[in-house]
Parts: sequence; C-alpha cells; structure tokens
Amino acid sequence: MIAYLIRRLIQSFAVFLIVMFLTFILPYFETGGILAPAYIALSTHASPTAVHAWGVQHHIFEPFYVRFWQYFNQVVFHFNLGYSWRQTSSVWNIIVSFVPRTIWIALVSLVLSVAIALPVGVVQASKRNTAFDYTVTNIFFILYGVPAFLLSLLMITWFSIGTLHLPPVPNDGSALQIFTDPKAFILPVGALTLLNLAFLSRFMRSAVLDVLVQDYIRTARAKGCSQRRVLFRHAFRNALGPIIIILGLFLPGLFGGALIIEEVFNYPGIGYQTVNAATYLDIPTVLGITLLTTLFTLAGNLIADIMLGVVNPRVRVEGR
Amino acid sequence: MTLHGDNIRDELDPAGIPLGDVIDADVTVSAFVPLWRQRLNIFLQNKLAIASVVYLVFIFLFCFLGPHLWHSNQTDQAQALLSPQNGPPSAHNWLGTDPSGFDELGRIMFGGEYSLTLGMIAGVITIVIGTLYGMVSGFLGGFVDTFLMRMLDAFLSIPVLFLLLTLVTVFARTTTNLIAIIGVIGWFGNARIIRGDALLIKELEYSQAARAMGAGRWHIIRRHVFPNSVSNIVTVATFAVADAILFLTTLGYLGLGIPLPATDWGTMLNNASQYIANGYWWQVYPLALIFILVIVAITYVGEALRDAFEVRLLER
Repeated sequence: MIAYLIRRLIQSFAVFLIVMFLTFILPYFETGGILAPAYIALSTHASPTAVHAWGVQHHIFEPFYVRFWQYFNQVVFHFNLGYSWRQTSSVWNIIVSFVPRTIWIALVSLVLSVAIALPVGVVQASKRNTAFDYTVTNIFFILYGVPAFLLSLLMITWFSIGTLHLPPVPNDGSALQIFTDPKAFILPVGALTLLNLAFLSRFMRSAVLDVLVQDYIRTARAKGCSQRRVLFRHAFRNALGPIIIILGLFLPGLFGGALIIEEVFNYPGIGYQTVNAATYLDIPTVLGITLLTTLFTLAGNLIADIMLGVVNPRVRVEGR
Repeated sequence: MTLHGDNIRDELDPAGIPLGDVIDADVTVSAFVPLWRQRLNIFLQNKLAIASVVYLVFIFLFCFLGPHLWHSNQTDQAQALLSPQNGPPSAHNWLGTDPSGFDELGRIMFGGEYSLTLGMIAGVITIVIGTLYGMVSGFLGGFVDTFLMRMLDAFLSIPVLFLLLTLVTVFARTTTNLIAIIGVIGWFGNARIIRGDALLIKELEYSQAARAMGAGRWHIIRRHVFPNSVSNIVTVATFAVADAILFLTTLGYLGLGIPLPATDWGTMLNNASQYIANGYWWQVYPLALIFILVIVAITYVGEALRDAFEVRLLER
C-alpha cells in the first residue's frame, strides 16, 4: 500500500508538471502577440515604451525555459504563485479569498446531488424498464440537454422574479452567509445540484445495474434475502467502487459547473474570477487557479483510489 | 395456435418425431438474419429513438432548407433595423423579432446551421483523435500506455471550461478556430473509453489467435481491435456531437460564440435570456425547446445505438 501510494504521488506530481507546462506555454500562442496582456493591464493606447517597460518588469522577454524555470521554482519550492497582472493582489490572496465560497456551494450541491442520485439510481436499476425508470431517465436526459446558464436564468425568472421571490444573488457572498441567510443560496445551489444530478445519474444507474447481474446477487436472492437487503446490503456496497471513481473524476467538472453558475448568479467565487482573468488575459491568475484546481483534482483521484481500497477489500489485497 | 416451447414439445407427430425439434430448427434458421438486420431491428424497436431520428432529420431540413424558403433577411443589419425590434409574433414574423430586428424564426434556422455544423465537425474531430490516442495507448501498452495515460490525466485534471475559456480568449474567434478548439478539448473522455476497449479486445481469443499465427501489431489493430470497437466508437461519437453542441452554447453564453452578424444557438439563447424579464418570451422558449430536444434526441439515438450494438440483446 505504501509503495503504491508513493508511486501514485510521484505520478500525480508528473501530471501536475505537465499541466503547468501546458498552461504556461499557452499565452505564447496569443493572437495579439505575447505583449497583448500589456495593453489590457496598462491601456489600449499605451505607448510602446510603456509596453516595453511592462514587458521587462514582468520578464516577458526572457527565453521560455528561463521563465518556465523561474515559475516552476517559485511555485514548487516557494509556494508562491506570483502577482496578478490586473489586480493589486497576489494570486494566492485571490485564491484564498474566493475559493472557500466556491467550495461551499460546490460541496453542498455535490452532497445534495449524491444524496439524491444514489438512492434514485438504486431504485431505478432494481425497477429497470418500468414506468418509474423511464420517467426518471427522461427527466435526467432533458436536464442534461439544458445548458447551465439557461437553467440558472430560467430559475431566476421563475422563482425569483416570478413566484417565490427567492433572492437571485447571495448578497455579500461570504462563505458564512450560508448559515445567516440560507435562503440566498437556494437558487445557485439548486441550479448546481440539478446540473450535477444530470451528469451523475447517467452513471449511478449503470453502476448499480452492472452489479445486479453478478453471481453473488443471484446467490443472495437464492438464499432468501429480501429485496431490500439485496439492494442495499449486496448491490449498493459493491456499486460504491465505480461511483467513488466517478466522483473523483467529477471534481474538475464541479469547478467547471460552478464557473457558469457563479457567472450567472454574480456569485463572487473562484469561477467568476477565472472568467474575468481569462477575459482580461491576467495570465498569472489563470495559471494559479488552473494549477490549484489540478491539485484538487489529483488529490480527489488519489482519495478516490484510497477510498476504493477501504470499501472494496479485493483492491487492497491485490496491492495494485 | 401459439407455438410456445413446452406444451408443443409434449405433442408427438405420427412418425414419433418430437415436434419441438422442428421448432427449434426454425429458431436456428431465424438466427441467420444478417447481423446488421438484427441490429436495425433492435434499433427500430426503440420508438423513442425513431422519433428522435425523425425529429433530427426535421431540424436539419428546417435549418438548412428553411432559410431558402422563409422570407427573412439574416445578414443585412441595416435592413433588419427597418423591422420592429423585439417585436411580438405576428403574421409576418411568426416568432417575433430579436433586438436587432432580425426575424426570430429565420434566426433560429440561421443559428442552427452554425451550431449543428460546428457541433458535428468538432464532434467528429474529438472522436478521431480520441480513437487514435486510445487505440495506440491501449494496444501498445507498457511504457507508452503509462506515458499517454498520465498525459491524459493531466488534460483531464484541468477543468474543461477553464481550458476552453483560456483557449478561446487566446486564439482569434473564427469558425475554424472554434471547431479546432472544441475538437481538441473534447476527446479526453473518448480516449479513455476507447483505450479500455482496446485493452479488452487485444486480450480476447481471436486477437491472441491472430498473434499466435504471426500477425503484426498493425494487422491486429486494423483487422480485430478497430472493427470490434466500432460499435463503441459510434456510440461515443453520438454523445460527442451532443457535447460539442453544448460546449459551443456555453461559449455563446460567455460571449465567446460566433461573432455578428452570424450567430449560433448559444449566443442567441444568451442574448435572449438576458432580457427574459422584459417579457420577450418568443426569443427564449421556442429556441430553448428546439435546442434541448436536439440534445435529448441525440442522446436517445446514442442510447439506441448502444443497445443495437449490445451483443447480449442479439437473437441467438
């Protein structure tokens, strides 16, 4: 297990480096040239001298390998993500102040959607090809076809402007507001939950279905287990493995989904910051946020694999 | 009289030959129905899938033939300004007009041309790259597989939207670039699935037999691994097209869709839904309905294709 963990950690680090390299090289393909961000950071009519000075100040003109090494050194050995080109703040500060807000809505909606998708998936798989199964599948299919922004905007139109008058925007957006003013979070969290559901439900049903055709389920039935016991004792526990892997893979999607939701609901989370940073070519911020989410994802995958060993002893024995 | 197994088997004909055998023989004959025919039958059994195909064909005709039959102007902004802006549905503009005065019905056709074309081309690109990558990785195995899979992990661990956003802001927003960007980003998941297939198939008896008879790697990929994963590739491709159309829509929302005077469904939905509180329902709901149904229809076709290729459902 320890050897496996170490190998996984080294591989994860390699993946992290590849991501860093890929995202670092992207601005070099900038249509407006490598100095395009300067015109946004300064002004559209900045003088060539000012732009040149800006370039020198931000080490733009140094060769790629020097810049990459500097960045690598700074990030890996000093945990320093550099300074934003547009905001008077370090990238780390931006992350620290905005990520918790995103984590709140992302986590709450993830928990909610799993809590709904799991039992629904189990029941669907056990009653496959019945009216219930078809109805639920169709609802989720339709939900999958609705673009995130449209769903959110329609929710605002119907439940905020329309009937229930739920607040469309969590007003100060601090992470603790979820306790003081939970009503403000109903719409954004609800929208994100529905989106997650549409995505997760595709896998939940088939994960349980794959288990239900196994021999040990037939054995359990043969020895007289009740339907309930077969489903939740035998099928469900075995289906947890694939579900955990899916959740691990799902983490980056969670951030991506939150990005759109935050943009629509004007929720000041990290997704909102990313859209802004990308639009205004604030490269250090984009880089920093991307690296951070990569780290989250890698950690998520690693935890998923370890959890897999916990729920499924066979994986542990094989040692992988 | 219904010829159902057990009660027939008990009746003997005068010559003492159990009738059941004759019927079993009939059943084996029916298994000689060509494979594609059996698959088509399974597909046709799915009423929703047929409805979806009909709907998709209709939408294609609507988007690609419609503009030639419908009166509207979709490119001349000066002329469009002569019509009422945000006008409600009328005899002349069946679905009203948009903020620039373009006819909404014509706009839906016009935007659909872009969304569908871009979605399909980008979807095909994702499936081609994904197949090549997955096949090579799964089939070669060993170091190559580890390397390619770690690379894939790296791609997969960047949130797709972040990547999309960065690429679209970095590269100029032309139709070709949009196709390329969505195509280059969408293949990661596909590659995973195809690789899993390749891994499985290359260990199956027929591949091993071919290897034992001295077949080269390329031959096995071409004659065994690829043909046997075609079913999965086709299924994945359908979903890839749906995803590509959805990506494009999201870009439209972020204001990174196709620039004016051309348009796509995402940009249209975005523009319209920003003003939905003003009561211009005709700009949102008809298009939203058409759009969502397109995605749902593609998904149904994909599901039906998956069933059609599912060996366990064949009559044997």
